Amino acid sequence: MPDWQKLVRQRLHGIALDDDDTAQVVEELASHLEEDYQFSVAAGAPEQLAIRRALRHVHDWNDLKSQIESSRQKELPMTRRVSQFWFPGFLTLLLAMALLMLIEAIGPKPWVSPAWGGPPRMAPVAVVYFSWLLTLPFVGALGAYLSNRAGARRWAVFCCVTFPIFPYLAFFMIGLPLAAILDDHVAHNIVLPAFFIGFGAWVLLPALALLGGGLPVHYFSGRKA
Amino acid sequence: MIASGIKRGTAELAVLSVLESGALHGYEIARRIEQQTKGSLRFTLAALYPMLYRLEKQRLIRGTWETSPNGRRRRCYRLTPAGKKSLAPLRGEWSKLFAALHRLARVSNA
Repeated sequence: MPDWQKLVRQRLHGIALDDDDTAQVVEELASHLEEDYQFSVAAGAPEQLAIRRALRHVHDWNDLKSQIESSRQKELPMTRRVSQFWFPGFLTLLLAMALLMLIEAIGPKPWVSPAWGGPPRMAPVAVVYFSWLLTLPFVGALGAYLSNRAGARRWAVFCCVTFPIFPYLAFFMIGLPLAAILDDHVAHNIVLPAFFIGFGAWVLLPALALLGGGLPVHYFSGRKA
Repeated sequence: MIASGIKRGTAELAVLSVLESGALHGYEIARRIEQQTKGSLRFTLAALYPMLYRLEKQRLIRGTWETSPNGRRRRCYRLTPAGKKSLAPLRGEWSKLFAALHRLARVSNA
């Protein structure tokens, strides 16, 4: 006879329920499959056929998993999305922006990339607030902690941690190219190296700083759970 | 066999009705419904448990772990007072639906 509990545990792997709830669901479903199997065996079915009959109860384990999640979780799906993603995401964004404004107002001056060769440029190529970057790991850690605590999956935690760079990412990936195409007065002086330096300063470096704080928190709290 | 859409609507009534006679565990609920409906309503594990958990969340049934004399642990479900109270209006609604269908299309609820 198969180890039904092991089988159900494997098929429901990653179900978004707490440990106690998961153990109860596994035990209950395994018990149902086992009784079905024993019923078939008692009725004269060979073992393999009885196993196949029992397993025919579930066509799609992923679908069952999500149905059990939504039927057992205490919160509504919308509330869950808010607590796992929207709330920590917007909190990290708000905190990162507030810190940037504070540093702009009273903090150390930013590093401005020097203009290379030729006549001095009218606009700086990149402005990097290193003091702001130093605060971002804490912001990322907070986002990861809140998202983790609400039981979010890995991708949701990752998005919450990096949420503050999304506006900049949208600016560099959508806004700036569109401006360059549609309005040559807006972006006539943008050169490719400047684009990459700006992208690095406002997207890549902040993302690394946020992840530097967020990923260890996600990893260690995941291990503790 | 009855189409799955209608079955889904009747599932709640079926479960609450079989639990009216006393506490049953999941497998027994499925067997009892199948026997009493002569196989017209059949619950697979995938259909039964999400519904049981939903009914439990709505506080219409309550599940408790019990150990049988042979040492097997099972979760037995019983109707709560709210579940008992909800049965009469549910039956009324379904009776009305069958009566309406009968008038409309000569569908009998017998």
